[in-house]
Amino acid sequence: MPMLHRRLLLGASAALVLARGALAEPAKGEPIYLGVSGPLTGPNAQYGAQWKQGFDLALDEINGDGGIKGRPLAYVFEDTQSDPRQSVAVAQKFVADPKIVAELGDFASPASMAASPIYQKAKLVQFGFTNSHPDFTKGGDYMWSNSVSQADEQPLSAAYAVKRLGLKRIAVLHLNTDWGRTSKEIFNKAAKEMGAEIVATEGYLPDEKDFRSTLVRVRDAKPDGLMLISYYSDAALIARQVKQAGLKLPIVAASSVYSPKLIELGGDAVEGMYTASRYFPGDSRPLVREFVARFKAKYNKEPDAFNAYAYDTMILMAQVMRESGTDRKAIHDGLAKVKDVPSVIFGKATFDTKTRRVDGAMNVELVVKDGQFQLNESHAAVR
Amino acid sequence: MSSWIDYTVNGIIIGNIYALLAVGLALIFGVSRLINFAHGSVYVVGAYAGFLAVTYLDTPLPVTIAVVVVVGALLGLVIERFGLRPLQGYAHIAPLLATIGISFVLDQLVQLFFKPDPRALPSPLLDIRFKVGSGTIGALDLVIAGIGLASAGLLYYFLRFTRLGWAVRATAQDRDAAQQMGVDVNAVNRAVFAIASGLGAVSGLLVGMYYNYIDPSMSFQATLKGVVAQVVGGVGNVPGAIVGSLLLGLVESYGIALFGTSYRNLFAFVLLVIVLVWRPNGLFASKRQTPPEPMTGTFIAPSKPIQIPGKVLAGAAAVAALVPLVFPHPYVLQTLINSWLYALLGLSLTLIAGTVGLVSLGHAALLAIGGYSSALLAINCGVPVGLAILSAGLIAAFLGTVLVFPSFRLRGHYLSIATLAIGEIVSLVILNWEWLTRGPIGVSGIPSLSLFGIELDTDRSVYWFTLGVLAVLAALQFRLLGSHLGRVLRAVRDDDVAARSYGIRLDRYKALAFAVGSFAAGVSGAITSHIYSYINHETFNAQLSILALTIVILGGMGNVTGAIVGSVLLVGLPEVFRVAAEYRVLIYGLVLLLLVRFRPQGLLGTV
Repeated sequence: MPMLHRRLLLGASAALVLARGALAEPAKGEPIYLGVSGPLTGPNAQYGAQWKQGFDLALDEINGDGGIKGRPLAYVFEDTQSDPRQSVAVAQKFVADPKIVAELGDFASPASMAASPIYQKAKLVQFGFTNSHPDFTKGGDYMWSNSVSQADEQPLSAAYAVKRLGLKRIAVLHLNTDWGRTSKEIFNKAAKEMGAEIVATEGYLPDEKDFRSTLVRVRDAKPDGLMLISYYSDAALIARQVKQAGLKLPIVAASSVYSPKLIELGGDAVEGMYTASRYFPGDSRPLVREFVARFKAKYNKEPDAFNAYAYDTMILMAQVMRESGTDRKAIHDGLAKVKDVPSVIFGKATFDTKTRRVDGAMNVELVVKDGQFQLNESHAAVR
Repeated sequence: MSSWIDYTVNGIIIGNIYALLAVGLALIFGVSRLINFAHGSVYVVGAYAGFLAVTYLDTPLPVTIAVVVVVGALLGLVIERFGLRPLQGYAHIAPLLATIGISFVLDQLVQLFFKPDPRALPSPLLDIRFKVGSGTIGALDLVIAGIGLASAGLLYYFLRFTRLGWAVRATAQDRDAAQQMGVDVNAVNRAVFAIASGLGAVSGLLVGMYYNYIDPSMSFQATLKGVVAQVVGGVGNVPGAIVGSLLLGLVESYGIALFGTSYRNLFAFVLLVIVLVWRPNGLFASKRQTPPEPMTGTFIAPSKPIQIPGKVLAGAAAVAALVPLVFPHPYVLQTLINSWLYALLGLSLTLIAGTVGLVSLGHAALLAIGGYSSALLAINCGVPVGLAILSAGLIAAFLGTVLVFPSFRLRGHYLSIATLAIGEIVSLVILNWEWLTRGPIGVSGIPSLSLFGIELDTDRSVYWFTLGVLAVLAALQFRLLGSHLGRVLRAVRDDDVAARSYGIRLDRYKALAFAVGSFAAGVSGAITSHIYSYINHETFNAQLSILALTIVILGGMGNVTGAIVGSVLLVGLPEVFRVAAEYRVLIYGLVLLLLVRFRPQGLLGTV
């Protein structure tokens, strides 16, 4: 049993109460456990580490403020390396453990969706908060997700690229994964409907580092802008090679690149890159300001998208449990009932009970300027 | 047409980078006849050593390179001393597995120390760029090319004109003879590992600077590309490795030009298979040269297997069957179900690799073929699940054999590399053949297991089903090994020349064994897909091929019981080490190393 996490969490929550000047009594007693199935080792380990930061920050807040009806909330993180063989075993472990009231994760679709039949059969909520695969919540009525649906996000990216920046001939580079593929289809369709032409579409594998020849191909298609459906690490690599290849094209990137790491890895090359985000440190929403400030205070760095997803998810689960109770069925029913949960990503999150997803993600249009993400103030209504 | 100049330049630039990796691998292979799977990990360590030097000591580039060379060389010495020297005299398969274990340990240590996040490694060179074609090349490109060529030149001089160099070449030609002539082969090995690892570490540093990007998980891809490049150039041939690297870079670049980015690696691996089949000694070997690979017999350790009486086995099977009644914890059952499924994969590989001597490094492809066949038959054609699983086994047997058939003339390491490539090709075809496989979106909604219309909807029933399939196939394999056919297969492994002179048609027997083995792997993949309900091209990845080989070597090559024991241990151990959270893969790697060290013929011995 990973006792380590539990002790840490309780200690941390106690410390925070002092700092915040306790609004309510800090939570005491036997904690309520959520199971987390995700990567702590293996090639996706960085995402598991980001989840933890987001979870821990949210738990400080929740447990400092009375927990769940006086009991602290905690999680048990089981490493699966985002490998389906291990995620099914972990699923059985959580399902059989009466202490676990709901499950969060896994990271990648093959691992998450392989475990879905087990959670569905045992009627334990599987909350896939990074699973944008369109079939994830079709696994059964115990599969829920507040991952930003690509049907929601990509038309916004297309509007940014086409309507605001005035691109007419777009070359799309996308990660050749289920996420990248789905996003690309929706983006291309939306961009075409807005009157732009997609002149090239190139899918690349996640461990690709060299894009020179891909960019020659892109250049020959004569685009007037690039759309990257990428994570921050590949977006930085692509931007650097665009610069080295002497291509002078505006680059728009999906919101998944929103991370301080993009700027660290991309340096000068990402200067002028357009992207969007669900939130922004200079946001006018107090919720976001507080999230960013507290995250910086705790970890001494800016939060990124995955930190925010994890934070939002923990806050949401706490709200559901406070309103509807802490047994497995109550959480399942509560997800359908919960309304307008404060959320960094959505502003206010409410589930569509048919799709078991949340619609209406917030959107801020950003540009990288002077080595920072900034609100894009220019370009208002080009053409 | 100017674009073709750009594609060519790009191909050479990236080939340049592969060359740095391939030269080190070629050197080690030339002397130790070993594919060093830890080379990519040395590359990662080199990148991070450079990162530390630049970040904390602010070293200028030449000093950074010197620091990284020293770190790499020291690491090479440590690997040689503790990982490989103790395994001298054992069959070649033991050090191969040791390098896999070492790479687990090193990658994991780097990840624990430096966190899994990628980091920037800025190049200190001025950003001067030269226009070539319509693109540009930078100063770092020239430095990389310079270091690649200079190290190749130095190596050439070292091997031709120095005493230690002669000793290295003598050891490469015939270790025992060299030793009799008074060559200190250990010193040679040390020198080779130090030089090769120093080079590997520098390549990590330079590639990291080139992309301004390092992360702890970049080792596998580096090893893979380096191995491909050096095989294309001729295994163990240092200048050949450089030309092979450039060729690989060009083929990838032209492949992108013609068909698009997602076909890149497909071209690399098709090139590899063609070169292997057409000129197994690489493009630059003179044809008359005898294959440097020893007879297959010495690749696999001969040993006395531990005899387990039939009654004990039957008893163990009965105990396994009783587990769900006595201890019905679903987590334990699921872990055992996984073990039985991987034991099926182990049965397959232990027959192909252990009994016939075809050490396959692409076995996950058979799982994928089985999994996709069964899933698509059940979904698209409405075939009942039981029948779909059976058909999937047959499809895997057929496709697997057809794909590998041209490689049957290869021996030892060469066959392993060919199967590695075929495995990657299958996975890339699955990714790109969208109308059939749905590409990266994958196949979802795969019906759950059922037999004759009865749903296997409890953990117990799935457990008994997989155990039953395993028991039947294991019993058949025991029967096969004890038969005349089994003895023929072992004869093929132990001495194929002798076997042929007795009138055995090697290809037919190899194909027969491969078909029987692939059936078991296909069935395993098929059952897995019905349990998971969703698969995509990443579900059955290259790591599983390595796991399969580890299971087989751990249990004892060709040993049916060994494959089952190996599977239970290797699937079970990471679960047992769960308490150790982030450290569990590290522990797993260390346990693997200890097992290879003290029991290189496998727990139950080679049959």
